Formats: sequence, C-alpha cells, structure tokens
Amino acid sequence: MSTAELSAEATRRPFTGRRVRFGDVALQVVAGAAALGVTVLVGLIIWKVFEQAWPAIQKYGLGFVTTVAWNPVLGHEVYGAGSFLFGTMITSFGALLLAAPLSMGIALFLTELAPNVLKGPVTALVETLAAIPSVVLGLWGILVLGPVLRTTIEPWLHSAFGFIPLFGEPSTAGASIFTAIIVLTIMVLPIVSSISRELFLGVPHDLKEGALALGTTRWEMVRGVMFPYARGGIAAALILGFGRAIGEAIAVTQVIGGGVFIHWNLFSGGDTLGSKIAASYQGSTTKLQTASLIYLGAILLVFSLLVNLLAQWIVRRSAKKHGITRGGHA
Amino acid sequence: MRKLGPSTRILALVALAGAVAAVAVSAAGASTNRHTATTITGAGSTFVQPLVSQWISPLGSAYGYELQYSGVGSGAGIAAITARTVDFGASDAPLSTDQFSACNGCEQIPWALGATSVLYNLPGVKNLLHMDGPTLAKIFMGQITAWNDPAITKLNPGVSLPSTKISIAHRSDNSGTTFNFTDYLSSVSPAWNSQIGRGVAVNWPVGSGGKGSSGVAALVSQTPGSIGYADVFYAIHNHLSYFAVKNSSGKFATPGLRGMLSAAQSDQKPAADNSLSIVNPPKKFANAYPISTFTYVIVPLQSSKAPDLKKFLFWAVTKGQTYGPKLLFAPLPKTVLVVAEKAIAKIHS
Repeated sequence: MSTAELSAEATRRPFTGRRVRFGDVALQVVAGAAALGVTVLVGLIIWKVFEQAWPAIQKYGLGFVTTVAWNPVLGHEVYGAGSFLFGTMITSFGALLLAAPLSMGIALFLTELAPNVLKGPVTALVETLAAIPSVVLGLWGILVLGPVLRTTIEPWLHSAFGFIPLFGEPSTAGASIFTAIIVLTIMVLPIVSSISRELFLGVPHDLKEGALALGTTRWEMVRGVMFPYARGGIAAALILGFGRAIGEAIAVTQVIGGGVFIHWNLFSGGDTLGSKIAASYQGSTTKLQTASLIYLGAILLVFSLLVNLLAQWIVRRSAKKHGITRGGHA
Repeated sequence: MRKLGPSTRILALVALAGAVAAVAVSAAGASTNRHTATTITGAGSTFVQPLVSQWISPLGSAYGYELQYSGVGSGAGIAAITARTVDFGASDAPLSTDQFSACNGCEQIPWALGATSVLYNLPGVKNLLHMDGPTLAKIFMGQITAWNDPAITKLNPGVSLPSTKISIAHRSDNSGTTFNFTDYLSSVSPAWNSQIGRGVAVNWPVGSGGKGSSGVAALVSQTPGSIGYADVFYAIHNHLSYFAVKNSSGKFATPGLRGMLSAAQSDQKPAADNSLSIVNPPKKFANAYPISTFTYVIVPLQSSKAPDLKKFLFWAVTKGQTYGPKLLFAPLPKTVLVVAEKAIAKIHS
C-alpha cells in the first residue's frame, strides 16, 4: 500500500461533531509518523545511493548501463553494467516463465481441485518455501541442485534441443545461469502461488456456479470465468515475483558462476546486478570500483521501483476495466 | 467484494523492502567501532583472519588487551583504516600509491607469511600431480582445455592422464588469495600480465566463480576435472588435492612451511613502502614454493593509542608468529622481522 493511501486512510473519517478521543489522535499520529518515516527513509536511501555512485555516474554517464566490461585490475580499470543487466533480465524472465504455470497450477489445485484433507498441509508447505532463507537455498543450489543439473538435465536438454542457442554446451562446473533460474523459480513460486490462490478464492461463487450450471466443464469454467476475473491480480502477482527475482543477490551469487559475458547459453555462467554487488562490494579496492558497484545498485533500485509501479498500474487498469474495486494495490 | 488478503500487501512490502535493503547494504560504508582504553580493533583480510583469531586469547592474558578483528576483506579494511574507524587494517595486496596517499600518514608492515595452493579434482589419479607456471597461465586463459594436453603430461611422466575436460574455478569475490595467484601468473606469463594482470579480482577469461574459499572448494570438489585455488590451510583442512608447483630451480614444491620460508628469503630488501614480492623467486631458492606471499597490517603513523598498538604489533610479529605454523602461516624470517620492528617503532602518539 502506498504511503499516500495510508495517510488518506488515516484522515478519511473526520472527527466532526464527535468527541475527540485520545485513541483516535494517537492512531493518527502513530500511523502518520510511520508513513512519513518510511517515505523519508526511502528518499534518504535513494539520495545516498546516487550520491555514492556519483563518481561512476560522472565518469561513465548513462553509457555505463549498456557497457559490457568489468575489469577491476589496477591500471586496466573499466566498469559497465551491460552484462549484469542482461544477466538480471534473463534470470528473472526465466524464473518467471517457469514459475507462472507452476504457481497457477498450485493455486488452482488448492482452490478447486484438492480434497479438503490436502488443502491445509499443501498450503502450509508452499508458504514454508517462502520462509527458507535465500542463503540456504543457495547452498542447496551449489551442493545439490547444481551437480544434478550438470550431470543429467543440462546434457539431456543440450542433446535434445541443442539447436536452440539457449541450450548450449553445458559448462562443466555446476554453476550456471540455468541453476540460478531454478533457484529463483523456487523463490518466486510461493509468492505468486499464494497471491493467486487468494485471487481465485475471491472469484464469487455465483459466477462459478453459474458457469457450471450452463454446462461448462471445470476447465472451461476456470478458463472462462476464473482467469478473466483474476487476470489483473495475477499479472500483478507475477510482476511482484519478478521484482523478487530481480533483487535476489545472495543465492544467485552462490550458484551463477560469474563472468562478464553476454551470451544466450543458459548452461554457462553469468552475473546479475545483485550478485555482482554481493560478490564484489566487500573488499572493493578503489573508489571507482565502489562507486560503480553502487551505480549497479542504483540501476537495480530504479528497476525495482519501475516494476512496482507497473504492477500497481496493471491492477488499477484492470480494476477500472472490470468496474470493480479490488485491493487496488499490489 | 473480496479484497486482496493482508498477506498480499505484506508480500508487496517485503518485496519492496528486500529491494531497498539490498541497495542499502551496498551503500552502507565501513562500520564504526567503539573502543575502550584496552580494546584494539582491526579490520580487513580474510586470509589472515584465522591467525589473528588465534591471538585474541593469548593477547588478553598477556596484556589484558581485547582484540577485535573483522574479516571484511582487504579493500574494506583499507577503507576502514583510511577513515580511522579502526586501529589497524589488514591487506594481502600491498597498498597502491593512491591508497597510500588517501590513507594520509599510514605505513604497511609485513606481519604474516602464507601461500596459495592450486587445487584439482581428478578422480582415478592417485599421484601427486605436477604443474608449472606457464602451463597454469595457459589453463586459466582457456588455451589448454584437456587433462591429457602434452603440456601437462610432459610435467607428469609416468602418470596416465585422462582426456577429461578441464574446468576452472576461481573466486567471484575480491580476495588476497586471488591477488597472490594472479601476481604469480603475471610474473611467469607475459601474456597473462599484459592481457589480464594482477589484482584482488580480475577479468577472468574462462571458468566459474565461487564465493569465498568455500565456494571455490565446492565447485572443485563437485566437478571432476576441475582446477581452482585457495589458501593452503583451507585445502589441507578440507582434504583437497593440490599441485606440486615447479619453481625456478626446476624443483616441484608443495605449499608447506619450508617452501614458504625459502621463498621468503628471496626478497630481503623491502621497498620504501615495506612491500615484499616473493612470488616466483629466482632459482637460487631451490625449495621455494613459488606462490607464497606476505600479508600486511596497515597502521597510522600517528595514533592516540600508539603505546598499546606498538605493544600489540611487537607481540604479533614475534610471539604471535608461533601460532602460525599449525595454520600454515610460516613464521616471519629474521630479516623481515627487523623491517617490521623498525616500522612498528615509528608509530607515535
């Protein structure tokens, strides 16, 4: 919920003609202070990020965003965000592409198909997935998932679909963009599926039953009633998941393998904005390198803000189109 | 009409907060430490951290000092001492001229001697494998890609090497170990020196990055045919195989105390900034392990805690060295000790 809405909520009911109660005043003060505090904090963070990144912004300008280079060796120093931006996009989109059908399936199963005995436990399990610390997922990625992908799944995909550039020669170490995509998928899954589940639960029963009464099959009802009804919300949920994938740093750093390359081979290494910052900030040796890393952070920040705004816009637009008000915010 | 549940909003906030936090962490500078009279704080190199950790309790009983050291990485350690938020910094790579002038009245003192091992994982081969610098540089440049390449088989007569593909594991974070390793490759291979160079992180032409020694070790131990590098103590402690590396005298040396000490003899005259370079020593040092390095403590010449700091540093370069060998840090050779003690004496309040 945006801060503007929060304060709007707090001032919606004026106290006209009523006794001013201490509780009301306290609520207004506390809620207002909280909203203001967050706004100021975000503002300060943005200001500080850009201030710290300034030496790099000054030196490289906007060209930094597309430059594919990262060489911290003294005397050869040159920095650019191109390959990291590419890595961020390819891992986040990849994760989204895998997570979208899976989480729709989970959400439909939990709302429409699962026998009642299963609903509770499965819901709990899916939400537990969200509680696994990303560093633990990363460890699992490097110790378990990576080797499995490297020895079985990647070679299989390569031999079957090797003509598609995405499924190139697997790198011999278990760290790859593909491993990062799978780890991110696991992180995105609980977010998207639990939001979708709520959206599906929100589809009015009379609509669903009406469709069934007209003789539709269950699938036709899902396709014709539930998806259109929840469309805006699902899009917002996916974008939220995307935002989560963009910003994830630690787990990705552990499994992605690194490298300043732009290539379409999912089975080779790469880096994302977040993973580069996580790997290199500690022990960054020169001012320019530190500033460049923070410039990466600034790009990430702008990116995340845009993604969140996009999600809000989609929800608003879809709510308007359907003539209904739903939460109105993602 | 049913509204989006509260969990949706929470998730939204969490997602936003996560993105913000990621940036906030990256923007946060070096932390400040508060100290009382007898607390000595330091920050920097993770390479030397195991050794410094060993000093905490004996220093406490000897002088009543409380030593606090954060292994935040050499670069962050340099930043911390430059900002004077700690009493000393620690770096594996000697300071650059720029860093010296930024630090404004700092000196660096060699205070530990260690080495980098070159790890490998080649199932089915039991022998201790041999390696030399030029071959290693070619491997890390992606020019040698198979284990049975003539360059490798020539170094290992009598060992039948498989045609397994070589995969490279390197550090993805900044590290003194990387500096030591690339410093060595630069000194043995002109091509490496001109195309890649030396640094705490370099632009690796091939291979996968792992975070920390443990990340590299995980990649190496899971990938048959892989080659990586880590500090010796880590390699031995985790039962990883490492090469005997050919030194200038033609001898294949393992990264033991003897090899480090022999290499350390090769640079008796430190530069004006007390830096010493002992990678790839000349052939006179027959037992030298060629990927050895000194690591440095960085202190301000003028410190409000000068007497305590001096006492601590004298202890570190003398008594403190006896804690080194079991962690595969060789005690400082006498000549270097003299240099260190002279430098320590310059600290004043």
